[in-house]
Amino acid sequence: MKRKNKKAVLSIYFSCKSRIAALLLCILMSLCLSACWSQRELNKLAIVVGAGLDVGDQPDSVKLTAQVVKASEIGAKSASQGAGAGNKAYVNISNTDMSVLSLIRGISHMHNRRLYFSHNKVLIFSSDLAKQNMAEGLDAFTRDHESRMDIFLLVSRNQASEILKEEVEMEKVPALHISGMMENQKTNSETAIITIRDFAIATLSGYTAPVAPMIELYETEGKNKVKLEGTAVFKQGKMIGELDKIQTRGMLWVTDKAQDGTLTVNTQWGQVTLEFTHSKSSLKPVKTKDGTIRMKLTVHEGGTVQNNNTTEDMSRLEKVEMLKKLMEQTIRSDIEQALEQARTLSADVFGFGEAIHRDYPKEWETMKDDWDRLFPQIELDIQVNVELHSTGILVKPVIPGGAK
Amino acid sequence: MKLKSGSISSNDLMFAVFCFLQATILRTGYIAGITRQDSWAMAVTGLIVTLPIVAIYASLLQKFPGKNLIEINDIIYGSILGKVVSALYLFFFLSLAALNSRDMGNFIVYFSMPNTPISVIILISLIGCAYCIHKGIENLIYLSTLLFIIAMGSLAINVVLGLKDVRLEFLKPFFQLEPMKYIQGTVSVAAVPMGEILAFTMITPMLGKDQKVAKPLFLGLILSAASMAVIMLRDILTLGPLVSAVSLPAFESVRYISLAEPLTRMESIYAVVLILLLVFKITVLLYAFVLGLTQMLSQNKQLQSNHTIASAPFKAEQSLRQTSSPPLTLVSAALLFFYSLFVFESVMENMDWGATVAPFFSLTFELLLPAVSLLVVFLRQIGRSQEVKG
Repeated sequence: MKRKNKKAVLSIYFSCKSRIAALLLCILMSLCLSACWSQRELNKLAIVVGAGLDVGDQPDSVKLTAQVVKASEIGAKSASQGAGAGNKAYVNISNTDMSVLSLIRGISHMHNRRLYFSHNKVLIFSSDLAKQNMAEGLDAFTRDHESRMDIFLLVSRNQASEILKEEVEMEKVPALHISGMMENQKTNSETAIITIRDFAIATLSGYTAPVAPMIELYETEGKNKVKLEGTAVFKQGKMIGELDKIQTRGMLWVTDKAQDGTLTVNTQWGQVTLEFTHSKSSLKPVKTKDGTIRMKLTVHEGGTVQNNNTTEDMSRLEKVEMLKKLMEQTIRSDIEQALEQARTLSADVFGFGEAIHRDYPKEWETMKDDWDRLFPQIELDIQVNVELHSTGILVKPVIPGGAK
Repeated sequence: MKLKSGSISSNDLMFAVFCFLQATILRTGYIAGITRQDSWAMAVTGLIVTLPIVAIYASLLQKFPGKNLIEINDIIYGSILGKVVSALYLFFFLSLAALNSRDMGNFIVYFSMPNTPISVIILISLIGCAYCIHKGIENLIYLSTLLFIIAMGSLAINVVLGLKDVRLEFLKPFFQLEPMKYIQGTVSVAAVPMGEILAFTMITPMLGKDQKVAKPLFLGLILSAASMAVIMLRDILTLGPLVSAVSLPAFESVRYISLAEPLTRMESIYAVVLILLLVFKITVLLYAFVLGLTQMLSQNKQLQSNHTIASAPFKAEQSLRQTSSPPLTLVSAALLFFYSLFVFESVMENMDWGATVAPFFSLTFELLLPAVSLLVVFLRQIGRSQEVKG
């Protein structure tokens, strides 16, 4: 009796189960076999590797230049072999409209492929646009899920669209050349390496002045090339000034972004170039007895003698001491120049405000509303510790002379 | 398909609790919006607030061993009032399931398939959930160990690879916001991911007869709090002030990982793990709802028997007591599907709800109702202690 019952229950169960399974299978198949909704074929996409934003020719408009790679040309062996000068490995697509998103959609009126920003490497603002408003472009490039926050942000002295027309030789695509260049800037510590994320963190703090490296065109051997030089300084989403190469290096010392690089010092016998590696600095606010807050900066520096243009033997200890002193002076003067420029602009490029906010939150509450006026008055105590580790492979100069 | 007690182990339950909570912990943008750089501490304070809440569940479950929440309601409040209270709980389970389905749909639509209608995504996931329940919920609970390993593995990978971008100064200044913010953050953490553990009161009767209920719940909760603190710390340390500006900090900080060329775009790992965990969570919630519904509709037959599963003889009417794959699954899944479609019109509405109403909504079911139940138990002197006396 019991067994019969069980069997009946089981058979009902199985028939029910197979029906449900069949039904599910039908639904799933009808959904899956009708192809994906959001599929994007590679040959229908225009893969953007660089983007430039300029002021548009109509009022209140913005011009976007998107650099799209031509996959077929990337594979071609060299320009001289098949294609010639006419066939570049990239296409620059430009459009002008009121907002970035609408102009990207507008590009669909002119091209058969949709712009795809996931592989974008660089975003260049022309300084004209940066001086007016950064918000529009920045918002579009951070809000959209396709674009990423780890792309390099640059400001161009010329038109951004001109920068993306650079006549490249080593690379095939200007945007890739620029992004590769940015990755190399660690080795000179004279350019601020800024991604959209870094920039957004600075703007969100509200008190730190965001910075971005500047790029410009120059002409050599009849060809237009780009180079990185200087730093653009922002306040409230607008570019308000610049730091030159030395001031940039000074700023990088303070913000602990300087890593490797060279310093050339003048001795009484001639120039000596010192290479610094593994630079480390720490910035701390200190409260003095009278209640004011000063900033204390300690820079630790390890260096080697990399180039000796003199005939002096720089391995002698008294010479080493002299070189250390000169190196310290150079670093100190870099920082002072940067500080002076920042004070002139009243722009806290070093993040003093954030440092005070972190360590003295109560005092910061009273200072923050008046920060524009207070920042230029904040004193910076600089302490530089230099160590010279070696003189390279050579101990004595190649052309001997000087002190015996 | 009557489920024997002891069909899941204490460890399985612990990992299940972890996976259940981790699905929400991976999307903790709403906490960072409140307490900013101190959000990591909310994992600790939230845990402290949640422990007594879970102690209430545990003591209820221990008073009535082998019973789940809905059965306990019937015993405590009688068959009519008990049904009303049970209906409230069921509404809560269904709402939570709908909210989580909607979140999953939004995540997939926004980050990977913008042109796909959200209904299709939710429908396919719910078919998976219903199938899962159909095959027996205990199998899913076994799988939680595997899911735990996957979730922890991905967390470890993402934390280690993100270490390069960590900036310790982002943590400072410590605790400088208004005290109200910390209370709000703590209550949010306690109510939204942690208190949702309530759904497991529908599953605990599957534990072995001699196994303690409280231990796996507490351990799972502590594990989740630890993982929440780690995730929050990583997000704050890598994103800084951005943490309160982006909608999914955990996603954004993983997106930033870039070690040389090959080790980038790790967000796919995060996305896969998040979707797995969300489906797990929705399945558990749907199961809690379906089982409760089945029992509520069939309780006339059951009356108020105080027998535990192990001691109860097999009777037809009792086959529905703790089934691993209750009937009404497909109907409930369909109900859930439509509920999740109209639960929120937009992500903004969802966020606003999460920041303002959600903690109070959740705490009504997570704290108020169980606390009242426990009080009634003490006043009416029912439950295990009475049985022992009698």
